[in-house]
Amino acid sequence: MNKFIKTAAVAATLMLTAGISTNAAANQLDDLLKQVKADRVSVAKLDKKREQEFLAARADKQALLKKAEAERAAEQARNTRLTKAFADNEKMLTTREAELEAAKGDLGEMFGVVRRASGNAYGTIATSIVSAQYPGREVTLDKLANAKEIPVLSELEELWFALQTEMTESGKITSFEAEITQLDGSKASTQVTRIGSFNLLSEQGYLNYNDDQGLIQPLGKQPDGSIVGTVSPFISMTSGYAPLFLDPSKGTILNLETQKATLEERFHQGGTVGYVIAGVLAFGLLIAIERLVFLFLVGGKIAAQLKNRTTPNANNPLGRLLQVYQDNKNVDAETLELKLDEAILRETPKIERGINIIKILAAIAPLLGLLGTVVGMIGTFQSITLYGTGDPKIMAGDISMALVTTAQGLIAALPLILVHSVVAGRGKSIFHILDEQSAGIVAEIAEKEKQ
Amino acid sequence: MIYLIELWESVREFIATGGGVLYFVAMAVFLMWILMIEKFWFLSATYPKIKREVIAKWDARTDTTSWYAHRIRDTWISETTEVLDARMITIKTLVAMCPLIGLLGTVTGMIAVFEIMAVQGTGNPRLMASGISMATIPTMAGMVAALSGVFFSSRLDAKVKMAKAKLVDSLPHH
Repeated sequence: MNKFIKTAAVAATLMLTAGISTNAAANQLDDLLKQVKADRVSVAKLDKKREQEFLAARADKQALLKKAEAERAAEQARNTRLTKAFADNEKMLTTREAELEAAKGDLGEMFGVVRRASGNAYGTIATSIVSAQYPGREVTLDKLANAKEIPVLSELEELWFALQTEMTESGKITSFEAEITQLDGSKASTQVTRIGSFNLLSEQGYLNYNDDQGLIQPLGKQPDGSIVGTVSPFISMTSGYAPLFLDPSKGTILNLETQKATLEERFHQGGTVGYVIAGVLAFGLLIAIERLVFLFLVGGKIAAQLKNRTTPNANNPLGRLLQVYQDNKNVDAETLELKLDEAILRETPKIERGINIIKILAAIAPLLGLLGTVVGMIGTFQSITLYGTGDPKIMAGDISMALVTTAQGLIAALPLILVHSVVAGRGKSIFHILDEQSAGIVAEIAEKEKQ
Repeated sequence: MIYLIELWESVREFIATGGGVLYFVAMAVFLMWILMIEKFWFLSATYPKIKREVIAKWDARTDTTSWYAHRIRDTWISETTEVLDARMITIKTLVAMCPLIGLLGTVTGMIAVFEIMAVQGTGNPRLMASGISMATIPTMAGMVAALSGVFFSSRLDAKVKMAKAKLVDSLPHH
């Protein structure tokens, strides 16, 4: 009951409030209705308009599509036309090429030959020393060798002309004025003589043609004096024949010559040991000369004394021995022999002095050479330790030192041995006269005096 | 004549491959053989005369037993053996020198090889080969020279010794 009352009260209240507000909103709703009606009209208008616009656009697109389709058709037509034209052209090209081949005939091979020949000729002519006299000949050849198109007649003549020039000039000995680039870089114009395609000469000696830069240069080091010596008389000669050293390898041998060590450089390669060996040789030869002079003089005096036995001369050993007899004429034979032996013992050291030193020096020299060998090999192994065995050039320096000292040892030993044999032979014969023959000479004199 | 020219050509070629040391070998061999031939000639032609003279001189002596006679005999023997011995040392020295000269050639040839190696590297064995032939040919030549000399010089030595002994035996104390 209570609940019913509550609900009724609430409903009454609600109705009351609703009744009050309905009265106020009635105008607004009318406006809204009016507005909705008006809006509906305007929206319909808008829709209409949009529909019309859309329809108009559709017509446009339709036109565009038609146009594009037309273009496509045109392009396709063009494609067919062009493909056909391409095929036609291809066909024509083939026929034309065949025509060209037919027209060229055997000439095709000839052009290959020309290209190859001019390539070869470029190689020879660019490096030839004839180019030192006539520079710039190789340009046309290079063009001809690398050309893609068929050479024309004038170019073919150029090749023929270049080859003919080379051939003719390589058979001539000519002089011409040319600029020489000296080793220090300065340039000077001098008279140069060209011997065929082999050598270039000037007053300085042999010249080198540097084909990379087109320069004429003197050799870094001229070859041996006997070879260079022929150049100057050859150049100054005006007629007739003169001998000359030629390099048939067109410069290669001369270049090798420049790298060759001279005798003096070889000597210095031996190092300290080499100098010691040279000292030993000089010392030994000095002693040998002194001994030879001494023995020669003594031998001459003894020979003179042998011819004149009765009057002893004190300036030679035999004379001094004979003097011993003259001083002791009246003693018995045994005493005389003892006195003679004593005198001989006094004389022999003077005769034999120095001979053994020569022998010892002759034995020492090869041993010193061996020492040099070992020192050089130590150097070699040191450089192997440092640089490995990869570069034989590094090792070669020390090895050449080792060998040079060995050679020096032998070179010193050989003359010393020979000279020792001469000196020893001479000394021995004098010693024999004193030791074995003096007593007999004394005996002969004594016998003669007794008669 | 042509044969001689060809022979000379082949000798020159040999020397060109063997190098300059071969000249020294040739000189040593030439000298050695000249001296040896001279010695053989001396022993067979000249020496018998000298020997006969000495023996005749000794036989002509009345006194052959005194101290004076002994000394005089020794002197004559010494004089004769000196003539016999002359130049024998030189011959022997030359025989001994030949292999040494050959060795010198070996060393100079090896110097050439290493020089080429220093300049060109080991890439070109043909260049090195010239040095090697310069090293080996003089060695061979020196050996051949020494061998040719050894036999005849020792033969000569024996002959000289025999001649000396015979001379001593031919001068008896009578």
